[in-house]
Amino acid sequence: MFRYLAKRAATYLLMIFLTTTAGYFLAVSTLQPALLEQERMPRPTPEQVTNSFRLKGLDPTLSPWERYLDWLTAVVTRWDWGRSPNGAFINAEFGDRVWISTRLFLASIVLTLIIGVALGVYTAARQYKFQDRVITSYSYLVYIVPAPIAYFLVQLGAINVNESIGERIFFVTGISTPGLEGNAWVQFVDMLAHYTVPTLAITLVGWGTYQIAQRQYLLDNVNADFVRTARAKGLTRNQAITRHALRVSFIPVAQSIAFTIPAIFAGGFFAEKIFAWPGVGSWSIDAIALQDVNAATATLAYGSVIFAIGAILADFATTLVDPRVRVQ
Amino acid sequence: MTNLNAIDPAAVAEEARIENDVVIAKSSIILRRFLRNKTAVAGLVIFLALTVLSFVGGFFSAWDKETIDPFNIGMPPSAEHLLGTSQAGIDLYALMVEGTRISILIGLVVGLVSVLIAAVYGCTMAYFGGKVDKVMLFVLEALIMMPALLVVAVATSGGGNGLRENLPSWLLLIIVLLVFSWMGTARLIRSLSMSLMQRDFVKAAQYMGVPARRIVWRHLVPNIGSLLVLDITRGVTGAILAEVAFSFIGIGIKVPDVSLGVLIGQATSQVATFPWMFWVPLMVMFLLTGSLAMMNDGLRDAFDPSSSSVGSAKTGKKYKTAKKKSK
Repeated sequence: MFRYLAKRAATYLLMIFLTTTAGYFLAVSTLQPALLEQERMPRPTPEQVTNSFRLKGLDPTLSPWERYLDWLTAVVTRWDWGRSPNGAFINAEFGDRVWISTRLFLASIVLTLIIGVALGVYTAARQYKFQDRVITSYSYLVYIVPAPIAYFLVQLGAINVNESIGERIFFVTGISTPGLEGNAWVQFVDMLAHYTVPTLAITLVGWGTYQIAQRQYLLDNVNADFVRTARAKGLTRNQAITRHALRVSFIPVAQSIAFTIPAIFAGGFFAEKIFAWPGVGSWSIDAIALQDVNAATATLAYGSVIFAIGAILADFATTLVDPRVRVQ
Repeated sequence: MTNLNAIDPAAVAEEARIENDVVIAKSSIILRRFLRNKTAVAGLVIFLALTVLSFVGGFFSAWDKETIDPFNIGMPPSAEHLLGTSQAGIDLYALMVEGTRISILIGLVVGLVSVLIAAVYGCTMAYFGGKVDKVMLFVLEALIMMPALLVVAVATSGGGNGLRENLPSWLLLIIVLLVFSWMGTARLIRSLSMSLMQRDFVKAAQYMGVPARRIVWRHLVPNIGSLLVLDITRGVTGAILAEVAFSFIGIGIKVPDVSLGVLIGQATSQVATFPWMFWVPLMVMFLLTGSLAMMNDGLRDAFDPSSSSVGSAKTGKKYKTAKKKSK
């Protein structure tokens, strides 16, 4: 099993390398920070611009291939992802923001998965009853709402709650109150108030997919022969579902995790932008607006790594629940 | 065929285009099953109405999307301006018509072409197998790994690139969405056609000396046809949603081009002051994606190859009776 996982990991490393390379060339050939420099007051001469960029390792006179080689040697030998046009070091900027993003997503991903799968099982066991209809309709409704608009609506709702109570319970933007003084408990409550709305928004939008998938696969299995056999041997319907059908039906859901983690990550871009969390997502969009080649490439690499982690986790989960993979 | 045309030309034309008259005999069954599902028909009607409105709606209003009405800036809906005006004093109805057209255009082009790419790519993988399959699968997974959002942002971000000056932003968005939207379907088609290649009727055809290309066309394509149709509506929905999402946070479609996403995004900063600017485009977007979702359900029932329905086309009812019996 570990050999299998190691082999997959090696493949994903190669893929990360390829996507990052492709991303670098795309960024180098489309993003031109020199143009933004022209808007500065006083307007720098082209020589000044070229010179300042050369010092930061962003020489616009070199060909994309030469710049790529320089950038790659820096990354491989010194783990140096380069600098932004304004002189900031990508490595230093990245560290903080990855931590902020991870804090935002981790709770949401876990909640999304647990709630989605649990509701999927719940609705499959009560197919076509009132609860099933309500929950499944909700999941289909979420499917036709774009994530940022759903987040925005949740934000509006939170603002309305704040206004109707007349007190600020939820913070709809930002990561913490600047300059807040107090003991650990005050800090904790403040953090919770900032966390609640984004986490709630991402979770509300996220679990629909899992619910529909889990419900579908479980229903496919509930009528299968092996479940009928189990019931014929005297198990109750719920026992048959939890002991036999559930495990089999979780396999495709586990495999789909790999493809939904990048989706949550992409949804995270929107969430960070809308709730004004200074994480990787909002930073990367701002960096691209500022024509920052190195930052764009670094965030692209980060996105690929997230996907690879999701894929490996999915492989791992599959080996846990699927005996056929374990034997191979 | 002429008889069918008389019933519903749009649906038949769509089927003929998708199915390429391989399963022409099946089309009347499919059409009948589809028409039986009232929700799906309602969805189709709403979608067609919106499409027609987005093309001819401009003729019903005296205003166009460039004329500024200096006496009505940021006004709520009135007799003169059906849906009110924007902060710049432009008639919102004219903007809506234009935006809906761009959104539908993006959805249809991306939905149709990405399924086409996926079908060709997936079938090629399954057909050749071996090394070709491995390499193509690798390329596909590498593409899935690329965060599409960043690529969209890079490709549509401001700057002085020749490509961006020559192409309007909606075309650029279509191209980028196309590149990143076909992989999931291609994977699915690959696995489906690989399992079909093992089936007896394909083996029989092979032993009879039928050329492989004709096997793909005669036996593989009809069997994955239902999936392709479903993925078209799903792809259209996905593309419309992606456009709205990207334009909402300011990447994707750029002003002066208009789309539903741009309209919704522009209105978010002042929802409390100008609520109609936000809710009207949002409702149109819901109608658009909702009608597609309603159609999707009916199409799934209509194209379900395992459905033996002559009576009800709803697979749901079958489950229900089966469950009642088991109790």
